[in-house]
Amino acid sequence: MNKPEIMLLCASSRRKGTSAMLLERIRLVTGGEVIFLPQKGSLNEVILAMQQAAAIVISGPCYINTYPARLIELLEAASLSGGFSGQKLYGIINGGMPYVHTHRHGLACLRLFAEQNHLSWQGGFVLGGGAMLDGKPLEKHMNRKKIVPVFDLFIRHIAEGSPSPDSLYEQAQIPPGHIMTRVFAKLLTFMVVRRIKKHGHDPDAPNWYLRKKE
Amino acid sequence: MIVIISDESSGKLGVALKEAAGRAGAQVVHFAANTLHIKPCAACGSCSGKTYGRCVIRDDMQQVLPKIAGCRALVLVSAVVFGGVSHHIKKVMDRMAAVGDPRYQVSSGELVKGMSGQGMSYYMVGTGDKLGETERSAFLFLHEENRNIMNTRGKAFLLHSSPDQAVIDNIAQEIAHE
Repeated sequence: MNKPEIMLLCASSRRKGTSAMLLERIRLVTGGEVIFLPQKGSLNEVILAMQQAAAIVISGPCYINTYPARLIELLEAASLSGGFSGQKLYGIINGGMPYVHTHRHGLACLRLFAEQNHLSWQGGFVLGGGAMLDGKPLEKHMNRKKIVPVFDLFIRHIAEGSPSPDSLYEQAQIPPGHIMTRVFAKLLTFMVVRRIKKHGHDPDAPNWYLRKKE
Repeated sequence: MIVIISDESSGKLGVALKEAAGRAGAQVVHFAANTLHIKPCAACGSCSGKTYGRCVIRDDMQQVLPKIAGCRALVLVSAVVFGGVSHHIKKVMDRMAAVGDPRYQVSSGELVKGMSGQGMSYYMVGTGDKLGETERSAFLFLHEENRNIMNTRGKAFLLHSSPDQAVIDNIAQEIAHE
């Protein structure tokens, strides 16, 4: 069976977020269409498209250290459905924390899915500090000088159908040092607190669910 | 209070742990996540802004969140799925941001967040009969990363799908008397 299609699957609920932006960057090189994972209802159409594709690229955000539940639900359903035969699978996960280790479980998850279901794992890309982009181009990333060329190399691997090594994204992301980490913590907290206060809340108040109980 | 949230689709380990922890003297609340109606997190950001500390999605998670907010130990029980947890449990995890502290802290030289209120312990219990080393490592790694990002204590356990009662009792004892 001929499988010419590349499937670009966005696992984010946000259509203009960083996950979608990264897929759009890939689409400009590989062609194909970005498909958004439906957040409710049947997953059968998505599974069928996965079965019919020659290569699948899944891009999603990192929620509490791995992909969101809806993608896990898709992988579970696709595994039950079966019907895979060597489809090449690439993964991208992006999250707010500027580290690789915080998000890389997502790629481990996809790799295990591929190995257990007769797909061919081709590697992935972890993008730390991705949430801050909020869908803006990769050229706005705080570590753009290293990230942009390396992500474009990752795209080349996808276009050529070749495996992409973990070392590609690992070498591109240098975590902030101790001083910058403290600066980030203060700056990000300042922004969070300002947003909370703007909406009339006290950041130091007990959690809403505990107050509700009282 | 200990909160146990389990996916009982492929076993009754959550119920067994609840009973064992109760016998060990702990006050326990148990939810079977696979029987609850929980929608996926919409990443709307409201819980860290407009409705600070409260999730705006109206579903069964509104019964679960008050218990998590006030617990001293949270125990998630799931079959190991691709080195992580099932989607039923992952939905709960994704929605826990509402009871997290959105402010940033530094721990071991890295940015972390934390849970609101007093610190809780965080446990994961994974089950599976033919888990390879990669899958076992991935599950333990996920717990470790969760524990780090929540800046809390806790432990992960990996069990066969039908563990001996003695194994369940030991875990319950450890959690109850932590």
